[in-house]
Amino acid sequence: MACAESLKVQAYFDGELDALGAVATETHLKECAHCRALLADLETLRAAIRSELTPQLPESLRARVSAALDASERGTPAAPVTRLVPGRARRPFWLGAAGGLAAGALAAALVLFTLLPSPDSVLLDEVLGAHVRSLMPQHLIDVESTDQHTVKPWFAGHADVSPLVADFAAQGYRLVGGRADYLEHQRAAVVVYQHGAHVINVFSWASPHGGLTRESTRSGYRMMFWTRGDLQYCAVSDTAWEELTRLVRLLQEKSAAEPAG
Amino acid sequence: MRFEAQVMPHLPAAYRFARWLARVPADAEDLVQESLLRAYGAFDGLRGGDVRSWLLTIVRNCHATQHRQSARRATQPLPDEEDAVTAAALIDPTPDPESASMARDAERRLERLLSALSQEHREVLALRELEELSYREIASVTTLPIGTVMSRLARARSALKSLWLEEAQGELSGVR
Repeated sequence: MACAESLKVQAYFDGELDALGAVATETHLKECAHCRALLADLETLRAAIRSELTPQLPESLRARVSAALDASERGTPAAPVTRLVPGRARRPFWLGAAGGLAAGALAAALVLFTLLPSPDSVLLDEVLGAHVRSLMPQHLIDVESTDQHTVKPWFAGHADVSPLVADFAAQGYRLVGGRADYLEHQRAAVVVYQHGAHVINVFSWASPHGGLTRESTRSGYRMMFWTRGDLQYCAVSDTAWEELTRLVRLLQEKSAAEPAG
Repeated sequence: MRFEAQVMPHLPAAYRFARWLARVPADAEDLVQESLLRAYGAFDGLRGGDVRSWLLTIVRNCHATQHRQSARRATQPLPDEEDAVTAAALIDPTPDPESASMARDAERRLERLLSALSQEHREVLALRELEELSYREIASVTTLPIGTVMSRLARARSALKSLWLEEAQGELSGVR
């Protein structure tokens, strides 16, 4: 008799659930022997398929395909050749007009400008990466608790900072736990909130680059940075801006009422 | 050359998928060659997106075309989704006594299991388990709704599990 949750268990196994779905399924797995057996089956089957039913590319086929491509290219020689010509014509006219050295220096400067990521940009990538990783199954929470007095002391042994931890369940932002992470070579503390169907990670760490206050959107995730005392905070989520801002405001009001740090 | 750099690295993936679709090595090789030629012709039109998914979509379309052509000649229907297990029983499980090589045993098992699975099951299984595509990517390659991808994947997995169990029982009951 199949359990109604079995498709969810499969989606969990395939890494398709968001953090909340994953947590819910993990809870269900603890209670449902049928789904535990299903999960074990899925794992066995995947391992078996990968080890025994994975065909290997015959080396002769690579050569055969290359030969067929070459032959077809000879059949239509115009295609790749003509493609090069307009490409060269599209070179910006000023590059030719400005002449040798100057243009070269300008081009080099442009390349440097675009290749060197700003420290901000590196940090944004780091934070976004940490947020997305946290949404993968079993990565969200190290200490699972809705009690701030459980979460806050846990950080003492696991992060370099002691952040503000508070539950705003009444306002719709439920504290679900904490996690240790690593940002800018510091052990960061992450407080995890749940708002409706969304997970909000609030990172805090002792930033070596001083305070950063800004907002940014990357890959559909919103990030809001602020500082408090010598701590850098960043809230990340896929919620709407207003919802993220509301939590940030709640946190700032709360910390204003407490001593900084 | 851009095609060489961007598409050829996915040749092993194209072959794995082609092999699961066509089942027989020679057919799979023809399918890969035709797909790569078609990909080469369409490459200039490719804008962004995942090259591997794009190539796998072409493999699937080529196979559908070939399959339609051969279906007109042969009348033998493919096993239904529900008939997959029964179909397995029709396939001779007796191994060829000549062969001692484990590689050939594995090769035959692959062929037996693949021929007992329906086309619908083979494609979602291959895309998920071998190519590690997400549900969304599988939906895009197969032009199925995500919900269908999920339910079909579940049925495909349970069908393959039953086939495998049967196979194991066949071996235990002592064919040789």
